[in-house]
Amino acid sequence: MEQPSNQPLPSGKRHGPTLPQIVPLGDFALLVRFGQSLDDSANRAVLAFAARLEADGIAGVVEIAPSLVSVLVRYDPALVGLARLSGELALRLGGSDAPGENRTHRIAVRFDGPDLGEVADLLGLSIDAFVELHNRGGLRVLTTGFAPGFVYCGFHETALTVPRRTLVRPEVAAGSVLFAAGQTAIAATDIPTGWHVIGHTEFRNFDPMASLPTQLRAGDRVVFEVAP
Amino acid sequence: MSCSLKVDRAGPLCTVQDGGRPNLLAHGISASGPMDIGAHRLAGTLAGACDETGIEFTRAGLDLQVESGGLFAGWAGGAFEVRVNGEHRPWPGVGRLAAGDRLNIMPGAAGNYGYLRFNKVLDLPMVLGSRATSTRARLGGLEGRALRAGDVLRFAGEGGHVQSVVPPNQAADCAGAIRITWGIHADRFAAETRRNFVGTPFRVTNAMDRMGVRLADEKGVFAGSSILSLISDPILPGDVQILGDGTPIVLMRDHQPTGGYPRIGTIISADLDRFAQMRPGEEVVFVPVSVDHAHRLMRSAKP
Repeated sequence: MEQPSNQPLPSGKRHGPTLPQIVPLGDFALLVRFGQSLDDSANRAVLAFAARLEADGIAGVVEIAPSLVSVLVRYDPALVGLARLSGELALRLGGSDAPGENRTHRIAVRFDGPDLGEVADLLGLSIDAFVELHNRGGLRVLTTGFAPGFVYCGFHETALTVPRRTLVRPEVAAGSVLFAAGQTAIAATDIPTGWHVIGHTEFRNFDPMASLPTQLRAGDRVVFEVAP
Repeated sequence: MSCSLKVDRAGPLCTVQDGGRPNLLAHGISASGPMDIGAHRLAGTLAGACDETGIEFTRAGLDLQVESGGLFAGWAGGAFEVRVNGEHRPWPGVGRLAAGDRLNIMPGAAGNYGYLRFNKVLDLPMVLGSRATSTRARLGGLEGRALRAGDVLRFAGEGGHVQSVVPPNQAADCAGAIRITWGIHADRFAAETRRNFVGTPFRVTNAMDRMGVRLADEKGVFAGSSILSLISDPILPGDVQILGDGTPIVLMRDHQPTGGYPRIGTIISADLDRFAQMRPGEEVVFVPVSVDHAHRLMRSAKP
């Protein structure tokens, strides 16, 4: 076994918070980080970079998974090494971030969640006023993560921001519409959550029998509507 | 000819596994697959398996009876006790099973996970390209759940030929430190915490399943090192995350696809099987290596 002492930290980390940053995640993936906190421009940069990688295949890359402010690039170490892949990724960091055309999904929500009243109170709004502000303008799918088909949609205007609940609910049902941190999320399976449950939808963004198991893609536009 | 097995007894978290379903992180689905990939592979080689599907069982073991037909079964992983019709057999090993035969796998001296593979193909539906069970996402295997007494497993096809394979001498390389590469948030920890993380023993606890293994930080390496919860990033198996109260958790095959706890390191591929087999109460010591070194180990471990 080699001498374990004094292994340097991954090289990208010695230069402070300069972004974007390419750091190893284990021995078969790299993480390309575009932000240290959740913001709209970092998320847009993530989606543009992921799209660029999808369009321009790099030998040895086997999976590209965009997240909120980072892109996971999984590779086959038998086909490409760390230094070469880091270089190939760095070459693709520049470039236009003009987003491509994305689809719009209209999602009908019954605003009947157990936390709806509390959320409206926290914001100093009536329930009707909250629902109207919540649905106004539409949101972007920021990413899918945490659980199958679970989508984060953002961002609401800053006035519409509440923190998560202090208590986690051990299980909320698939179709629960969740609200926290300036975002609305949709649970596609039964999950535990610390987000506020503000409503429910019949829409399910997860079908394990479909060839593409989820319908919403990061970057798509989502318009929430009051269910008839 | 039809062939089927009946489960007479299944320990907890006994699941059908194959190579898993990689490439679905963007849909919020982690890959699953065997906790000990090497042992899963060895059981398949012993059985003359012609696909990747098999049964993963836990420390309590598993009892099966052949209902109809006949097949070869290979077993490997950890050190269990195995009997065919009451007669002791070597572990790892292979056996021919005919209708009415009973296979009993009992707790043994070492390991958390054992594998049964067959020379015939388990007749289970492919879900998103795999038969692997994810109990977290309720996918694959038998109705997305763990196996239990009374389940019947059917096989398709005639089965491949079984070549005589000499099982490797176990005991090789089952001690020593677990090697990591520094994690995506290693720089968020104080230099002293990183120094102490390396070489200080942690203890494996019984809070373990296919999603993760909780470690006891008896020396207080992470005591008082509070790092605010971070923005969620993708997770891969082997990531060592530190909860807000300082508890380290190693994320395993059924990990959640993204998470926001800081990750100080990631166990390298060459050592993750060995870590998965460490029992509650055992001490684990982490040692950092470079990614390039981990790649060299991966190449030298290729069968």
